[in-house]
Amino acid sequence: MALQELTYTFEAANPQPFPVEWMHSGVVGSGDMEVMFTKEDLGGKVNFKIVTPVTGFDEVWSRVLQKFVNESGISDVNVEINDNNATPVVVSMRLRQALQDAKKEA
Amino acid sequence: MADWKELEAKSFYEATARERAIGMVDEGTWTELAGPKDRLTSPHLPVLGEAVEFDDGVVTGVGLVGKHPVFVASQEGKFIGGAVGEVHGAKIVGAFLLANQVYDKIMAECPDEIEERRPAVVISFETGGVRLHESNAGLLAHAEFMDQIQGSKGKFPVFAVIGSKVGAFGGMGFVAAATDVIIMNTYGRLGLTGPEVIEQEMGKAEFDSADKALVYRTTGARHKYIMRDANYLVEDTIGAFHDCIGEVMDLGYAAIEKMRRIGNEELVDEQLALAELSVELHPKDSRDVWAYYGNENPEQLTEITTAEFLATAKRRP
Amino acid sequence: MTVEVMIGRGRDAIDMIVDEGSFKENMVGDTPIPSDIGPGAVVGEAAIEGRDVVVIANDAQAVNERFPVVYFGVIGMEEAYKMAKTVYTMLHQDADKPIGEKRPLVLIVDTPGNGPGKQEEIFGMNKATGAYQLALAEARKAGHAIVALVIGRAISGAFLCHGLQADQILALSPEFSTMIHVMPITSISRITKIDIERLEELSVSNPVFAAGPQFFYRLGGVDELVENIEDMRPAIARHIAEVEDRKKAGLPTGPMYHGELGEERGGRMLRRKAIEAMEAEYAKVADQYV
Repeated sequence: MALQELTYTFEAANPQPFPVEWMHSGVVGSGDMEVMFTKEDLGGKVNFKIVTPVTGFDEVWSRVLQKFVNESGISDVNVEINDNNATPVVVSMRLRQALQDAKKEA
Repeated sequence: MADWKELEAKSFYEATARERAIGMVDEGTWTELAGPKDRLTSPHLPVLGEAVEFDDGVVTGVGLVGKHPVFVASQEGKFIGGAVGEVHGAKIVGAFLLANQVYDKIMAECPDEIEERRPAVVISFETGGVRLHESNAGLLAHAEFMDQIQGSKGKFPVFAVIGSKVGAFGGMGFVAAATDVIIMNTYGRLGLTGPEVIEQEMGKAEFDSADKALVYRTTGARHKYIMRDANYLVEDTIGAFHDCIGEVMDLGYAAIEKMRRIGNEELVDEQLALAELSVELHPKDSRDVWAYYGNENPEQLTEITTAEFLATAKRRP
Repeated sequence: MTVEVMIGRGRDAIDMIVDEGSFKENMVGDTPIPSDIGPGAVVGEAAIEGRDVVVIANDAQAVNERFPVVYFGVIGMEEAYKMAKTVYTMLHQDADKPIGEKRPLVLIVDTPGNGPGKQEEIFGMNKATGAYQLALAEARKAGHAIVALVIGRAISGAFLCHGLQADQILALSPEFSTMIHVMPITSISRITKIDIERLEELSVSNPVFAAGPQFFYRLGGVDELVENIEDMRPAIARHIAEVEDRKKAGLPTGPMYHGELGEERGGRMLRRKAIEAMEAEYAKVADQYV
C-alpha cells in the first residue's frame, strides 16, 4: 500500500503570527512523526499536509489539527507532517512541543 | 534544542541523530547541510508504503572543532533502523566531497596551516547497513563510502563514533572499520553479521542470539577496545565524544594515521595473524580472548564502570 | 542453445578467460602468496592475449576446514586477507610503472556472503572485508585497471567486498542464473508485506530493490551484461583497454563513476541532487569555516 497524502486548511478564531520563519522538530520513528512549520502569508489560514502510511483516519486527523489551530491560534503557516503511525495524543503533543520550541527560539 | 551545556552532558546513547551531530562540533559553529528544509525525502519509500523523513535518516552538516572544519554525518536509528538508501547514502558521500574540497583549498591557499586547519569527517553510526526498500541503491552507496575513505588517506582523518541503540552493522560495520579513528561509549556495538544470522549458521548451542550478554560481549565496545578495534572508549555523554575528537585532532595527522587497523599490507599481516590466532584459540566466547591477553577475571570486565574498565583492562599488545 | 551456468565454477572461469596454461596460482610476479590459507580465494597471475594480469576468483567448491562457516564461495577472514595481500603485492611491484604498464586486475565473482560465524565476529570479519576493499580502491586509484565479472552469485556485502570496488563491472546476463542482490524479492515481500507480483510490477519502473543483474545495470552498478560465455574473455580485454584509456584521459571510473552512470540510465535520480544541495549550501557559509 502506497503512502497517502492528506491536506487540510483551518483558520483560528484569534489568529497569532507564527513566531519564527520556520521550525522543524521530531523524528519519524515507529509511532512517531516529524513536523515542519514554514511561515507564509495565507490570509490568516493554516495549511496542513500529512504524508502517512495509515489510511482511514482522515476525520481523526482533521479533529486533532483543528483543535491545535484553535488552541494555539497559529496562522499564516504551512505545516508539513511526515507520520509513521503516531497516535492522536502523540500528534498533539509533538505539535505543541514544536510550537513551544519555536517560541523559545524567537 | 536544549542549551549547550545540557546538550554536551546528554547521554550519547539517548540522543537523536541531530543532537549528536550538533554536539560533535564546537558551540555555535554548526550549519546543517541538506537538512529537513530541503525535503530530500526518499523517492523509493512512498510506493512501498513506508514513511518518509525530510532528512532521509541522516543529519549532515559542518562545524568547527578548534580551527578544524569538521563535516558530520549522523544516522538516526529510529528512522528505518538508520539504514542507507539513495539519498541517505548520497548525503554521506557529500560530506566527504566537501572535506576534500576544503582540504584542496587549504593546500592551495595556506599549506603551512594544514596541521591546525586540517578538515575531518565524522560519521555517527547508527545503522544495520543497507535499506531493504531501496537495497540496490543502498549497496552501491556503500561502495562509494569505501572509495571515499580510501581517497581521504593522506589528506584528512575520518572518525567513526559509535554508541547508539542500533550499533554499526552490516556493510556499515566494515565502513566503520575502514576509518582512521573509532570512538565508542560502553553501549556501542560494532560488527558485520547480526546475532540472528550467526545463530542460524552455527546453531543455538554455539551462539544463542537471545543471550544479550553474549551478543554484547561479541560485538560490544569493551571487546572492541580490548582487541584495539576501537581506539577510544569514552563516557556516555555527547561532550565526551566531542572532547575526544578535539584531543585526537591535536595529536596531528601522523599520529592519527597510526590509529588505523587496516589499510596497508603491514596491517593486513597483523590482522591475518589474528585470524590464525582465532583458529588456535578457538574461543567459545570473547572472554577467552580477554583471558588470553592477560585479563585474569574476564567475567568482571563487563560488570564494572567504564572508568574502572579503562584502568584495569589489558588490551591486545 | 543450451545455457552453460557458471555458478560454482570460478576455477573453470579462470581457464576460459586467460590464455591457455598461463595461470600461476599463488604467485604475483616472483612473490608467492600464502597457499595454505583461504582455499575459497583463488589468486595468482595469468595472461590475457599475451598480457600479464593478476586474477582473484572465488572457488565455491572449496571448504575452509578451519572456519566452519566458510565454504560455498563464502569469503572468510583468511580469504579476504589473502585477496588483500595479492592486491598489495601487485601494487608494490608495479609502483613505478605508468598507467597502461601496471598489470590489470581481473576479479571473477561468485560469492554468497562474508563469513557469518562467531569466530569471525569475535576477531572482526568487518576488518577483513574492509581491508580487501581498501586495497582494491588503492590499486584502482594508483592506476591499475580493475575489471570484475560476476559469473554466479554477488550477494550483498560479499559483492561490496569482491566486485564493487572495481573500475568497471560486468555480469553474465540473467539467463545464466546470475544473482546480484541484497535480498531476494521473496524476503522483501515478507518484510514489506507487499505481494511478489506487485513488487515485480513495481520493479519494471524502478530497479532500486529488485534482484538481478539487469536492475544493477540500470542503477549503474553493472557496466555491461555479457550475453555469451565465449564473450567473457573479449569483454574483459575490451574493458581493461577502456579503463586504461579513461584513466589516461583523467576520466572517472569506479564507484563514483557508477553513481553518475546510475543517473544517466535513469536509476538513481536523487543522488546528485542531494550532493549538489550540500555543496551549494556549504558555499554560502564556507567563509565561516576556512
